[in-house]
Amino acid sequence: MPPSQLKQLKASLRDSGVVGPQQSKKQKRQNAKTGVTAQNRNQRNAALQAIRDRFNPFEIKVGTGRGKFDVTTRDGNSTGTVRERPGVTKSLGEERRRATLLKEMNTRNKVGGLVDRRFGENDPTMTPEERAAERFARESQKKMRKESMFNLEEDEDEFQLTHLGQSLSFDEANRDDFEMGDLKDDEEDDEEASRKRKRFMAEEGEDEDFIDNPEGEGLHERKKSKAEVMKEVIAKSKFYKAERQQAKEDDDDLRDELDKELPDLFEALRGMKAPAKPEPPKQDLDTMNPERAAMLQGPEKTDAEKEYDQRLKQLTFDKRSQPTDRTKTEEEKIEEEAERLKKLEEDRLKRMRGEHVSEDEEEESDKDSFMQDDEESDVDDAAAFGLPTTSYEPRPDMGVEDEDDFIIDDDLVETRSNVSLSVDESDMEEEELSDEDEAEESEQEDELINGMSLPAASATSTSVAASQSADGKLAFTYPCPGSHEEFLELIENVPIQDVSTVIQRIRALHHPRLHPDNKAKLGRFSEILIEHVSYMASEAENPSFALVENILRHVHSLAKTHPLNVATAFRAQLREISKERPLNLHAGDLAILTGISTVFPTSDHFHAVTTPAHLCLARFLGQCSANTLSDFATGAFATSLCLQYQTVAKRYMPELVNYVLNALSNLAPTEPTIKVGSFPYRKTQESVRLVASKKVTPRKLHFRDITASASESQAEEDLKISLVLTFVSLIDTASDLWAEKAAFTEIFTPARDILKDLKQAFKSKAYTAARDPIQSTLDKLASHLEKSRLARRPLLLHNHRPLAIKSAIPKFEENFNPDKHYDPDRERAESNRLKAEYKRERKGAMRELRKDASFVAREKLREKKERDAEYEKKYKRLVAEIQNEEGRAANEYEREKRGRQGKR
Amino acid sequence: MPGPVESSKKRKSSKTAGAPSKRRAVAEDDFAETLSTIEKLENEIAESRKHYNNIATLISMLNVQKSAKNPELAVAVSLCRVFSRLMAAGNFAESSRAAENEKIVTAWLKERCLEYQRALLSIIREADTTSQITALTLSMRIIKERITHIPGAENAVWSTNFKAIVEAVIEAQDNQDLQSELVNKFMKEFEDVRYHAFGQIAEYAAIRRRSDVLDSLISILSACDDVPGDDHKFENFFATPGSQNKRLTSVNSHKKRAQEAWLAILRNNLSQAQRKSLLRIMVHHIEPWFSRPELLMDFLTDSYNVGGATSLLALSGLFYLIQEKNLDYPQFYTKLYSLLDADLLHSKHRSRFFRLLNTFLASTHLPAALIASFVKRLARLALNAPPSAIVVIVPFMYNIFKNHPTCSFMMHREIRDKELAAEIEAEGMDDPFDPLEEDPTRTGAIESCLWEIVTLQSHYHPNVASIARIISEQFTKQQYNLEDFLDHTYQGMVEAELGSGEKPLRKVPVVEYQIPKRIFTDRLLEEDGGVDSGPASFMRGLWDFS
Repeated sequence: MPPSQLKQLKASLRDSGVVGPQQSKKQKRQNAKTGVTAQNRNQRNAALQAIRDRFNPFEIKVGTGRGKFDVTTRDGNSTGTVRERPGVTKSLGEERRRATLLKEMNTRNKVGGLVDRRFGENDPTMTPEERAAERFARESQKKMRKESMFNLEEDEDEFQLTHLGQSLSFDEANRDDFEMGDLKDDEEDDEEASRKRKRFMAEEGEDEDFIDNPEGEGLHERKKSKAEVMKEVIAKSKFYKAERQQAKEDDDDLRDELDKELPDLFEALRGMKAPAKPEPPKQDLDTMNPERAAMLQGPEKTDAEKEYDQRLKQLTFDKRSQPTDRTKTEEEKIEEEAERLKKLEEDRLKRMRGEHVSEDEEEESDKDSFMQDDEESDVDDAAAFGLPTTSYEPRPDMGVEDEDDFIIDDDLVETRSNVSLSVDESDMEEEELSDEDEAEESEQEDELINGMSLPAASATSTSVAASQSADGKLAFTYPCPGSHEEFLELIENVPIQDVSTVIQRIRALHHPRLHPDNKAKLGRFSEILIEHVSYMASEAENPSFALVENILRHVHSLAKTHPLNVATAFRAQLREISKERPLNLHAGDLAILTGISTVFPTSDHFHAVTTPAHLCLARFLGQCSANTLSDFATGAFATSLCLQYQTVAKRYMPELVNYVLNALSNLAPTEPTIKVGSFPYRKTQESVRLVASKKVTPRKLHFRDITASASESQAEEDLKISLVLTFVSLIDTASDLWAEKAAFTEIFTPARDILKDLKQAFKSKAYTAARDPIQSTLDKLASHLEKSRLARRPLLLHNHRPLAIKSAIPKFEENFNPDKHYDPDRERAESNRLKAEYKRERKGAMRELRKDASFVAREKLREKKERDAEYEKKYKRLVAEIQNEEGRAANEYEREKRGRQGKR
Repeated sequence: MPGPVESSKKRKSSKTAGAPSKRRAVAEDDFAETLSTIEKLENEIAESRKHYNNIATLISMLNVQKSAKNPELAVAVSLCRVFSRLMAAGNFAESSRAAENEKIVTAWLKERCLEYQRALLSIIREADTTSQITALTLSMRIIKERITHIPGAENAVWSTNFKAIVEAVIEAQDNQDLQSELVNKFMKEFEDVRYHAFGQIAEYAAIRRRSDVLDSLISILSACDDVPGDDHKFENFFATPGSQNKRLTSVNSHKKRAQEAWLAILRNNLSQAQRKSLLRIMVHHIEPWFSRPELLMDFLTDSYNVGGATSLLALSGLFYLIQEKNLDYPQFYTKLYSLLDADLLHSKHRSRFFRLLNTFLASTHLPAALIASFVKRLARLALNAPPSAIVVIVPFMYNIFKNHPTCSFMMHREIRDKELAAEIEAEGMDDPFDPLEEDPTRTGAIESCLWEIVTLQSHYHPNVASIARIISEQFTKQQYNLEDFLDHTYQGMVEAELGSGEKPLRKVPVVEYQIPKRIFTDRLLEEDGGVDSGPASFMRGLWDFS
């Protein structure tokens, strides 16, 4: 049984040392003297408070979570019994409210008031004495800090007035004079000075003596202090610095002068006179800053000073110059260029593999849509591969779910053309900044625009336009055509070799830097040029390919700045081809397709222009019916174009193989003896077989062969043999391209058989010229076939990690903690956490508000009670007063009455 | 002077307007006159027997003696009315009790009637379309009247008169509309007409006919495609016969007639095109008529053996027989395998074939070697196929591999045998597949691998390439819906890339970063030391652009 409360209290008091054995009077006095009592007071108070708390059973509330069962899942922290002290918290809250809310309440609707900022005023832990001591300490500290500008007690000897780095102290006047004399010598001879400077730098110690000496002469009476010596050294070095500055300026002036004379020198060297300079050479002063020159010339000193002041003020407001990039050396430039090319090539290879080139754009949701396929059964499987859906309802174009769509890197386009793709007026400033880079670009462009000076060209009035062209001379300015017809009109009278000059001039005149509209105009112009390529190749009898080439190169260079326009124009051409003559390509279409192969990267896995171009070619090869020799010539051109498209990417084209083999079987002098196996053999309606009686001579195929048909039989036979040899060489190239393909054997075995057949057929003497290339191609095929046989291995396509079977076992968490959230979804977990926090905070805030409200109500009630009590008191006082007075009056009245009665 | 000029104009115009109207009036007058005479003659015939000779007059008025190009239709119509009336009045009925002169009149009338019918037939054969159709209607009308009013004439009428009509219709010139008239107005409407028409056609086609005649026969027959169901009630009769014929009301006899007609045509000398078109409608239009479809077997197997597209088309019919009638076709899969030739993937029946092939190879009980042969053969063909075919083949293979996991060795074959592995490592290997072997179970395809599809993974078209890639990815998808891949074409693919109208591109297309020095010509060749390399040098080597 525990001891009684009283006993416990006594014991605890004794333990904490609040009560102890009685102290003697002597001891007490001693303690009072040393101040031990004052020290102990705080301690004792705390101990007493603790004891009070311990013995008040209502002060401590044992929490309800008193641990019902000890379970393993409970973490150790929460097991301890919670001891709450509601009284304390309540009083704390009350206290805080009194300090904040009450004050606010009292000051409500009141303006002004006093804030007591005295040090330690509201600190209850300080005694008044301590407060006073602290305040005094602060005051004296403040004084010591010398912050006051009126503080005169400071001794200031660190600053010194100087002029030109020399001290202006009067006590060293002699030395100054001496130095000045020395200075003059220096100024006369620069070299001397520099030598001296060097010496000064090298042997500082000597210099000190050198300084010491004159002092010794001037003032013998006092040995200088170390500080003074140092000061002198500093002054000296400042002086030399100024001198160096002066020398440098002189050098600069001299150099400027020399530079100016350099052109004359060059002229003298060349021995010829340059055209008269725009302005006659003026005085030297001209090359200077004009204001400075004026200042130098101006006789009036006051003006100059005014000027100086003004300049100074201006300078203070001038922006500081920004550090610029260092000018690059030649090697660095080359290296950078190489780096850039390397990067572009890498990008191209990436695109070829169909990887995403840039990561900055969001990955498209194709992956997701592909995943969803499993869930939604009615999704078109084919659409997942970008194939058009075969349903009859109008479908969205461009295959939105195209998995192979890759994101085109904008940077790639921008590197060369700093004109950003979405240029608007605000970008113009930016462009100005990037002028330097553009200069680099224009170097390339120069070749095409021929460095026509832009501003000069724009300065000439445009009104001279076409009138001059009539004189046989080219006009210097041309309007930018808005349609192909306009362009045709424009170049109607221009000789064909000058058309490229016209294009150059149009491009130069409408350079986007000259006018914001020019960008759109040039975009349109690029489209017109593409139309013109097609037009030229198909309309003209004998197209000038030098010009077509030139135009294509112009288109290419325009494509760098206007990729969208150019791509759209090419696509429009392709669309026209595929709509109107998919199986009957014109010469113009072939020129367009060739153009595409140079302007756009044909190696890309997917490309908005080259992919349809591929399809167009393949469709032509796969489905066209070749009946005449010119058909075969067209086919040969298309085939070679296909191979050129695939030079880099080396992709396989089934139609190409089919077409070439078919053509060879049709052109061969005899019907193929072997059964043509793998490709569909389509006979021509009329035989186009070689029927050589005389010797045939193969030649290089000409673009003309596509359109024209040979007139005489010998020429026809020649064309046939040339076609055969071209096709053979195409097989040759194709076998090189696809040598690495897994099915090389299957692709080229039929080709080999046909070639063998052909060789047999070419036994006749007439074909001697054709035998060698066929034999060499056969040899090559044989070696490739052998290699591919050697390289053939069984396929190992499915070395995937085996897929896990979906498990139905519930996930078991070791060391499970119910306080922790095991949500695998990061975002959801995070949001749940935030929600919980919000809820908690909200609850807390509401509780606080409620308490605040009750506190306010309580306070108001208290105030009201106080007011009422006061009123009551006053009322009572008044009543009592009145009663008093009344009583007195009544008494008086009584007295009076009694008195009167008494009188009576 | 504007006034007089105008007036003269008016006068002129009135004159010019007057002339044709007069002419028209004259023509109308003539027409009205003939009509009135026809009416008069007709009425007189109705009035008394004295005027029976008017019939001969009317027939002569028909204007068909020399050629039936421009018949008088009004006369024909009125004659039809006359004969109908006479028949209804019983004037055609022969009775033994009748007097001699009566008999003579009846015989004379019959003769006239025959003459009239012959005239109508010649109109059908020779005249223009409207007259033909009218004549057809009139002849059918006569037939109807005869059957209704002359007892016992039914069989004779159908077998002689109707036969003549059918023949005339078939042989008529420019007979599209006429045929459709016969089919739509009579054969489809009236079941007895159809029944008899089938009979006549069967009879007609029993001997060899010209191919254009066969064409029209086929078109007539294929137009009658609503096959009566088993519990069909025959109610629409053209002529209600006196004795309800048993044969006319049973489904079987109808079917039998149709079957006979079709068989007669199928046995005729059909051209290749006709054969194909017949095969095309075989399942939906012909086979339903056959109560004994096995009769089609000969035709189908013959067609199947022809090879090429005809075989492809015969497949579905044959499959129907195999499936429904338990037809035993020996070497079916061998034959099917032989159909996979170089032209298959380029033919327009490709999707049709793949649908069927999908059904044929669906069974999981087929031997793996056979399946592998088909897969390998398709892979070989895919090497020379258009993209639209490759797009079908690869998902098709995927589905097959899912169904026949034994075949998936063709995609993944690890050599466990150390010696063999070393040998392959040293010497490479040949494809164990024998493309010339005709028996699909012995080609050794199961030992082979699908190098062809791996090659196609670098197809020039990105979508095709990515489809080919599903072979080497994990087989997580259960099945590809083949139907989605079947009907692609170059046109569709190009349109998918280009779109039908210009829309702004979503992304800025990449431009080749280097402007080539030369494209066609030898420009600046000296700068590179005379050696032409760089882009497009290949083209310049082959072609001369000067």
